[in-house]
Amino acid sequence: MGNKQTIFTQEQLDAYQDCTFFTRKEIMRLFHKYRDLAPQLVPLDYTGRPAVTLPYQLIGSMPELKDNPFRQRIAEVFSEHGDGNMTLDDFLDMFSVLSEMAPRDLKAYYAFKIYDFNNDDYICKSDLEKTVNKLTRNELTPEEVSLVCEKVIFEADVDNDGKLSLADFQHMIVRAPDFL
Amino acid sequence: VFLHGFDADEDLVRSLASMSTNERIKAIQKLPETMRKKREIRNKVLKELTKKARDRGAQPSCCTQCLQGAAVSFRRFGYTLSEYFHLLRVWHKALKVISAEFGTSVLSYFVFLKWLLNFNIFSFLINFSFITIPQFLAAEPNNLSFTGLELFTGAGYFQQTVLYYGFYTNATISKIENGPSYNMQLAYIFTVGVYFVICFLILLFSMAKSFSSNFLNLQIVSVNASKLLCTWDFNITNEKAVKVKQKNLSRQIKEDLTEVNQEVLNFSVKERVLRLAVHLLAWVFSLGTAAAACTGVYFLSINNLELFMKGHRNDLEGQAAMLVLPVIASLLNTLIPFFFSWLGHLEKFQTPGQHIYVTITRNIILKMSIVGILCYYWLNIVAASESQCWETLVGQDIYRLILVDFIFCLLGSFFGEFLRRIIGTTVCVSLGLPEFDIGRNVLDLIYAQTLTWIGILFSPLLPGIQMIAFFIVFFVKKVSLMKNCQPPRKVWRTAQMMTSFMFLLFCPSFLGVLSVIGVTVWRLKPSEECGPFRGLSSMYAAVSEWVQILESYTSSKWVAWIYHNLITSELFFFILSSIVLIITYLYWQIIEGRKTMTKLLHKQIKN
Repeated sequence: MGNKQTIFTQEQLDAYQDCTFFTRKEIMRLFHKYRDLAPQLVPLDYTGRPAVTLPYQLIGSMPELKDNPFRQRIAEVFSEHGDGNMTLDDFLDMFSVLSEMAPRDLKAYYAFKIYDFNNDDYICKSDLEKTVNKLTRNELTPEEVSLVCEKVIFEADVDNDGKLSLADFQHMIVRAPDFL
Repeated sequence: VFLHGFDADEDLVRSLASMSTNERIKAIQKLPETMRKKREIRNKVLKELTKKARDRGAQPSCCTQCLQGAAVSFRRFGYTLSEYFHLLRVWHKALKVISAEFGTSVLSYFVFLKWLLNFNIFSFLINFSFITIPQFLAAEPNNLSFTGLELFTGAGYFQQTVLYYGFYTNATISKIENGPSYNMQLAYIFTVGVYFVICFLILLFSMAKSFSSNFLNLQIVSVNASKLLCTWDFNITNEKAVKVKQKNLSRQIKEDLTEVNQEVLNFSVKERVLRLAVHLLAWVFSLGTAAAACTGVYFLSINNLELFMKGHRNDLEGQAAMLVLPVIASLLNTLIPFFFSWLGHLEKFQTPGQHIYVTITRNIILKMSIVGILCYYWLNIVAASESQCWETLVGQDIYRLILVDFIFCLLGSFFGEFLRRIIGTTVCVSLGLPEFDIGRNVLDLIYAQTLTWIGILFSPLLPGIQMIAFFIVFFVKKVSLMKNCQPPRKVWRTAQMMTSFMFLLFCPSFLGVLSVIGVTVWRLKPSEECGPFRGLSSMYAAVSEWVQILESYTSSKWVAWIYHNLITSELFFFILSSIVLIITYLYWQIIEGRKTMTKLLHKQIKN
C-alpha cells in the first residue's frame, strides 16, 4: 500500500506545499486535526474540493488556541468572511503563519490585523485598550489602561496621526527583537 | 489601504514568473494573502510559465518536457528528504514543550546547552578520527590493572590509555613498509589548531549575527510599546502558564507606571554619596572573596602536587586526596554565588536589570579567576616540576574537575529545585515553587566548557566525556524543570540574553582558553619521556621543523615561502591590522551618516 493517500490529489498537495511552510506529512497531520474537530462534517475525500466550513466554537476549543487570549481575533482574521468560521484552506493558512517557519514580517502583518479590532487598518486607542485588557485579564484600572495606551501611541507613532498604521507597527517590530 | 487592482496582480504574476523556482516558491509562501488568493496567483504563474515556454520553442520537444517532469519529481523528492531531515533535529519536541510551558527565556538556556553540545561533538569527532584512531594502530600494551576508582580519579589504568596526552606516540606511523606514513606530531598540533580556528570563526559569526539583529538600535525608544505588543509569548499553550504570564504582564505594567513617578525624585548629594559608598563596599567584598577563593585554591593545589611528588599515589587515601581540590573548587563555585546574590539584595539597585547584570559580572569574575589561577598553577608549577609526564597530570586534574563539577551540577538540581519544591509546598508554603535560575545555570555551562576547551590539548577525548555529561544534564534539568519549577516571574529580554551568553562565552572564556593554549604551545617545554612532542624544545617546534624539511623539496617551496613571509613575519600582520582598522573606520563613518539620514527622514514623515 505504501504512502498513497487518497484525500488529496497530487496537484492539491503540491499547491499546499507551495503556498504554506509545511511539508506533506505536516499537511496531512493538520488535515486530520481539522477533521477530528467534527468528523461528521469533514469528508475524507477532498479531491472534489468540498466547501466545508467549521464554526468558530469548534476552532476556539482546540488545545492550541483555547488558552490564547486572542483566539477569537485570530480566527476572525484568518477566516474567509471575517466571522471566525474556517475552511480547511483558512485553517492551514492560520497554522502556517503561526508556525516557527514563517518569517517575521509576515507574522508582523498578521499580528497587526489581529490587534486591529475594528478592522479599519489602523490600531487606534480603543483597539489598544482592548488589547491591554485581554493581555492583563482586566486587572488594571481604566486609568492605568488609558495611560499605558497613550504611552504606547506616543512611542510608536511615527507619522504623528494619533494611531498606529501598518508602517508604524512594522517599524517598531524591526527594533524589538523579542517579537515572536 | 491596499490596492488590489487587476494591474497589481498582473505585475505580481509577471515578477514571480521571472524568478527561479526556489525563489518563486518562497515568495508565494510569504505573500500576506488568503490561501485561495495564493493558489490563484500560483496557477496564473504556472500558466504564464508554460505560455512563455511555448512561445520560446516552436514545438515543445519531448526533451524539455522530460526535463520539466524530472524537475517536478526532483522537487517532490527534495520535500520528502527534508521531512526525514526534520527527524534528525534532536530534542526538537522537548524544546517545543519547554517553550510552551515556561516561555522563551527558559528555552534560551536549553538552546545554549544544545549549541555547546555541538562544539563538543565536533571536537570529539575530529580528535577521535585524526588522533586517536591512528594511535590505536601504534598502541603500546597497557600493564596497569583496572579498579573502579579510576572513573573518579582519572588516574591509574587510564594513565596508559588514549585518554591522555602521555600515551600518544611521537613516531611517524606506517603500517606498510615504505607506504604512506602518518606524522603523529603534526596531526596532533594541526587537529587541535584547526579545531580552535573553526571554533573562533563560528563564535565570531554567531555573535556578530546576534548583535546585528538584537542591538539594531541602541537607543531603545519604544520600550513600552514593544513590551506590550511584542512580548506576548504566542508559544505558550498551557493554561496555567498563560494565567501566570498575564499576571506578570499586569504587575510589570503597574510597576512601570509607579516607576515613572519615582524617576522624578532626585537624590540629594548626601544620599548619592551614601549609595556610591555602599556599592563600592559591596564590590570590595566581592572582589576580596574571589581573591581569597583563588588563594585557597592555589595553596591547596601546591599542597596536592607536593603530596603527589612524594609518591603517596596508590593507596585509597592517596586517591581520595586527589579529589579534594576539585571538590573544594566546585564548592566555592556553588556557595560563593549565593553570597553575591545576598550582597546584591543588600545594595539597593535602581533597576532590577542592573542587579542581574552586576551579579552575573561578579560570578563571572569569580569563576574565571579560579580557572585563571588553576591555569597559572598548571603552566608554571606543574610544567616545571620534576614529574615524569606533566601534561598527563594536567589532563587528569582537568578530568577530575569536570567530573566533580558535573556531579555538583546534578546535586544542585536536586537540592536547588527538588528539595526546594518540597520545602516550598509542605513546610513553608509562602515560599512557593522555585524558579529556574537561568543566570546561574548558564554560568555553570560556560565554566564547564572553558575547562573542556583547556583540556583538549592535554586529553584529546575529553570533549567526548563532556558530551555525555551535557546529554545527561539536559535530561536531568528538563525533568527537574517540568516537575519542580514554575514559569519565571520577571520577563527577561530573551534575545539580548542569548547575545550576552554568546558574548560571555567568547570574551573571557574562549579568548582566555586561546591564550592558555598559546602559551602552552609556544613557550612550555614538553616532557622528555611521553607524548607526541617528547624531546622537542616546544610543541610549536614540530611545525617549524616540518617547514624546514619542506624547504628542501622544490615542489613544496611555496609552503615554506608562505610560512616565512606571511605567518611568521611581523610586517605582514602590521599591514593587515592597518587595513582592518581603516576599513572599520570607514564603516563607522558610513553608519554615522546613515543615522543622520534616518533622523532627517523621521522629521519629514512627521511633517
